[in-house]
Amino acid sequence: MNITTRAQQGVTLVAIAGKLDSNTSPEAQRALDAILGGGGRRIVVDFTALDYISSAGLRVLLGAAKRLSGTGSALRLFGLNDTVREVFEISGFSKILAVFPTEADALAGL
Amino acid sequence: MTNGFRIAIGTDPGEVARVNAAFAKFADAHALPAPVRRSLHVALDELLTNTLGHGFAGGRGAVTVEVELRPDVVYVTVTDDGKPFDPFGLAAPVPDTALPLAERPVGGLGLHLVREMMDEVSYRRRGDRNVVTLAKRFAAEGGGGQ
Repeated sequence: MNITTRAQQGVTLVAIAGKLDSNTSPEAQRALDAILGGGGRRIVVDFTALDYISSAGLRVLLGAAKRLSGTGSALRLFGLNDTVREVFEISGFSKILAVFPTEADALAGL
Repeated sequence: MTNGFRIAIGTDPGEVARVNAAFAKFADAHALPAPVRRSLHVALDELLTNTLGHGFAGGRGAVTVEVELRPDVVYVTVTDDGKPFDPFGLAAPVPDTALPLAERPVGGLGLHLVREMMDEVSYRRRGDRNVVTLAKRFAAEGGGGQ
């Protein structure tokens, strides 16, 4: 897994590439904790280069989403491949997290 | 000789990464379709995390993973000598995936993903061992990723 972060116009873009599973989720957790700890309140996660996600990765996203559920906060995702989308559908995460097709869609109105 | 591999691991949670690496190598060597490879990666991560996390209560044990490729299907067998547990049985809770964000418990989804993403799952207790088998077929029609 590889995580790259960049801030633009008050939004933090986090690109997570590779595998988000039991082995790599602690690192993803640390990256999101660092953003949240630094005051980041609008986070857009780029999954374009994410190969797959397991429940350990879902847990990290859920924790971040719960912390960002207040006013003026948002966690949005885009770029899910078919397997990641399937995991989101089965787990019900596609209903509780804001998933967008493209980066432009995810950034629109944020 | 069949197309596949067998790996024996310990009960440290970090051992999942070894299986992951071995499976990735196998998937590359046989050019598994991406949706099949990815689904199996998820299923192995969930199943092994569960087995190593709950089956041994921190103690030592033996876990073996066998993967076999046959025409249009991959079979996975995970054998362990931990405490008896059927990951697909009544004792394994089915999470409520319709709960809103604030009420979502953190966890409980892993084995549900395995059940839903695999084409076949089964469990049997053989002697003092749990034997879990998974099957993932190559989709004959559409539905594939890139």
